[in-house]
Amino acid sequence: MFLGKVVGQVWATREVDDLRGKRLLIVEPVDDPRAPAESAVKPVVVVDTVGANLDEHVLVAFGKAARVAAGGDGDFAFEAAIVGIVDDVHAPGMPQSWRPIHLQEPEPREPEPREPGPKEAR
Amino acid sequence: MLVGTVVGTVWSTKKDPTLTGLRFLVIEPFTVRDGPRPTGEAIVAVDPIGAGIGERVLVVYGRAARHAIGRGHDVGFQCAVAGIIDRMELAGGRTVGTHVEFDES
Repeated sequence: MFLGKVVGQVWATREVDDLRGKRLLIVEPVDDPRAPAESAVKPVVVVDTVGANLDEHVLVAFGKAARVAAGGDGDFAFEAAIVGIVDDVHAPGMPQSWRPIHLQEPEPREPEPREPGPKEAR
Repeated sequence: MLVGTVVGTVWSTKKDPTLTGLRFLVIEPFTVRDGPRPTGEAIVAVDPIGAGIGERVLVVYGRAARHAIGRGHDVGFQCAVAGIIDRMELAGGRTVGTHVEFDES
């Protein structure tokens, strides 16, 4: 299970029967440690069981947990589902970006420590 | 589940008997940050719905994939196409279509 942010929606007409009528959203993990400019992470397409919207922060479950959350016998052709919408998050030392957008406070701007230059040859 | 573009087909004659008659596609996943951007890797997925080259598809893994293939859960493969994408709407108003040429930014 991970904390994610809804960044898109997908529509498909020709699809396996299990996905018919399911709302498919694209979610990006909020604690993804990659560099901001980098785009190496593949988007996760998840089934929405709770009615999340674009830019909302959500809880995403995987595997059988996800399929059971979508109802029925827990045997569907998808492996991830949104099982909750995040109201707020608290964890010591967490970045503001983990919180839902409307709760994010602008962090006090401190002068950033200078990046150490290229290592000098010994 | 991830999103990818169909870039090729795989034919195989000598294979696991549970795979007889299945169609295999080569799929290149793409990311959606700053628009659809191919990742440069290739995955092979069973195609139970009939996607064509250049089409954007949804790809599932594991038990979900074997379920999508529709031959019970004793199939020797763990990746399958679950749907053909008509349209994707991304944060920032960008739209992704069925093929590369139908994208709007």
